[in-house]
Amino acid sequence: MLKIRNLHATIENKEILRGINLDINHGEVHAIMGPNGSGKSTLSAVLAGREIYKVTKGEVLFDGKNLFDLSPEERAREGLFLAFQYPVEIPGVSIVNFLKTALEEKRKHLGLEPMSPSEFLKMMREKKELVEFDSKLENRAVNAGFSGGEKKKNEILQMAFLDPKLAILDETDSGLDIDALRIVANGVNKLKNENNSFVVITHYQRLLDYIVPDFVHVVFNGRIVKSGDKNLALELEEKGYDWIKKEVDELNN
Amino acid sequence: MKLLTKDDFINIHKKNGEALAPEKIKEIACDFLQKNDLPTTKDENWKKTDIKRILKHRFEYGKKIDLDKFVVSMYNVSGTYANVLVFVNGHFCEDLTKITDEQHIFVFKNIAKAKTENHEIFDKYFNKSDIHNEHYFSALNTAYAEDGAFIYIKQNSVIENPIHVYNFVDGDNRKITSMLRNLIVAQKGSKAHVIFSYHSLSEDYFLTNVATEIFVEQNAYLDFNTFQGEGDDAFQINNTRVHQKKDSRFYSQTITMCGNIVRNDLNINIDGENCYTELNGLYFPDREQHFDNTINMNHKVGHSLSNQFYRGVLENNATAVFYGNVNIFKDAVKTEVHQKNNNILLSKHAKIHSKPHLIIHNDDVIASHGSTVGQLDKEALFYMQSRGIGQKKARTLLLTAFANEVIDKIQVPQFHFYTKFLLEKRMKGDKTDGMCSNMGACRG
Ligand SMILES: Nc1ncnc2c1ncn2[C@@H]1O[C@H](COP(=O)(O)OP(=O)(O)O)[C@@H](O)[C@H]1O
Ligand SMILES: [Mg+2]
Repeated sequence: MLKIRNLHATIENKEILRGINLDINHGEVHAIMGPNGSGKSTLSAVLAGREIYKVTKGEVLFDGKNLFDLSPEERAREGLFLAFQYPVEIPGVSIVNFLKTALEEKRKHLGLEPMSPSEFLKMMREKKELVEFDSKLENRAVNAGFSGGEKKKNEILQMAFLDPKLAILDETDSGLDIDALRIVANGVNKLKNENNSFVVITHYQRLLDYIVPDFVHVVFNGRIVKSGDKNLALELEEKGYDWIKKEVDELNN
Repeated sequence: MKLLTKDDFINIHKKNGEALAPEKIKEIACDFLQKNDLPTTKDENWKKTDIKRILKHRFEYGKKIDLDKFVVSMYNVSGTYANVLVFVNGHFCEDLTKITDEQHIFVFKNIAKAKTENHEIFDKYFNKSDIHNEHYFSALNTAYAEDGAFIYIKQNSVIENPIHVYNFVDGDNRKITSMLRNLIVAQKGSKAHVIFSYHSLSEDYFLTNVATEIFVEQNAYLDFNTFQGEGDDAFQINNTRVHQKKDSRFYSQTITMCGNIVRNDLNINIDGENCYTELNGLYFPDREQHFDNTINMNHKVGHSLSNQFYRGVLENNATAVFYGNVNIFKDAVKTEVHQKNNNILLSKHAKIHSKPHLIIHNDDVIASHGSTVGQLDKEALFYMQSRGIGQKKARTLLLTAFANEVIDKIQVPQFHFYTKFLLEKRMKGDKTDGMCSNMGACRG
């Protein structure tokens, strides 16, 4: 599904990603952990196509296609989804209008007929239920004046709508109370199947109690310095990152 | 190249039909014309609007042209039920008049006719706002204008349907100048929605000089809409003066979609307490177009509230001016004023001159103003793209949302719909090819 090979990326000539390698297959859940500033959000933004980051080396294949040949919107229509760490406010554009437009664009890209209004409403109802999304919010402007939790739930609603092949959740759990966390995790678990994959960026084991990862990776200083199974996350929760930093330092010396 | 002089303008207009102004008022206006020059960028209120581009053209007096009902119906700004008057090049097209509300609750006719048929009202109000002293063009209009709309809403009457005045310009391969002189009186306790719309029927150079006096009497409610959709080569100088008596409400929406140089002076005078004033505007200049909204909000008496909300989207080499003067007089205590002007520049060549100017002569007021200039929000654009929404579509959504906040102030549903529709049409169009380069594209 996704093959990342020796990926390097810079912002303002500062190298942030320094050789990321990662393989994600269909049906897998990967967790990415690592200290703040290590490059996790940069990796997800580069994959989504944010142009302020410059890819200086390496390649990424998404279902066999060169990801960097695709515009951000094409990546999305092909099934890549990023739940933002900091979702953006779009004043004046309602959630319903936003979702409708996004879905139309995707269906057009896939050569499908536009949905009828009643089909759309039905889908809206189903997806809202799936992620326990408050109906009061759907006619409000996207994220405008939303609480942190509402913004994150809105990301999950969008994910449910677009039904991506690969979803990257960038700290979707940060700042959520346990109820909201459970809702977000349930949403992911209901959408999960053998054909799609998830990358969950998180600092906390508590999310991984709900969304059980097949692999856990630790990003440090722009590289994946350690990978393991779900037990690695437990170990990190217990011991913090210092021992990993030490290991990396020892390797370098 | 020789530019038109102030005398040229007098010569164009004086030898034609009969002027509206009674002799005395005409003398006052002519006196002003003699003592004053055409506006230049040296004048405080014209610093950023240079009319030299207008004066390059040898304009002629615009003749009356017969218009077909069908042509008017293509500009369906106000819906099927509106009360309608139609002017072409400042001349009245009597056969296109339509009255849908009850005749006895209001007077809606051309002002040349009202001057004789309703002479008491005419004499009581005509030029009583001293609109002639705004600038050279308003004095010219006062001295020589021949016709325009006369709207008189009788006491305690509510006019259900919109009152719509069309002004078309049609050049037939000549450069045409024309004038329109309007008078609106909303009597005590009355309520009405008025729309003035401006369109070109040919791709010639035009100069349209409009002067409108509005008197909102005690406890009256007037909603006044202006739609400017003339062609790429059409200049318009549009001057509106409003007097509000106590407990009255006045709403204005100025939508400027197209034109060459468009200058709107909106001058509001609060003469009584407990008034409410809302001035909204949306301007959308493209190419070399230049749209100027100059507001003079005069709070002469206290205990009133006024709100200004103007937004602009500027493309390519377009320029715009928002000059928001607010003048709160010494005794106008407990006045509250708000002013907001937001602009989006879609190209690095576009330019906005936004200048709030609040002169406050007493301490007991609440005042706020804010002016912003920016590009489209890149974060929001990327967010939308990351959901599969193409860049062009994302841009359209953001701009539409930005403009809709002003458009949603429009109270007349049909006009609201029409404006939204045109905006969408324009958004779909190619960036470099706005709606106005082809004749009559500003229509529904
Ligand atoms: N817009 C930016 N300009 C400059 N530096 C940035 C920018 N965005 C991120 N960085 C830097 O890149 C590094 C990685 O940031 P980020 O990817 O957000 O880390 P993480 O998500 O792992 O906390 C940090 O050192 C951060 O300061
Ligand atoms: Mg981050």
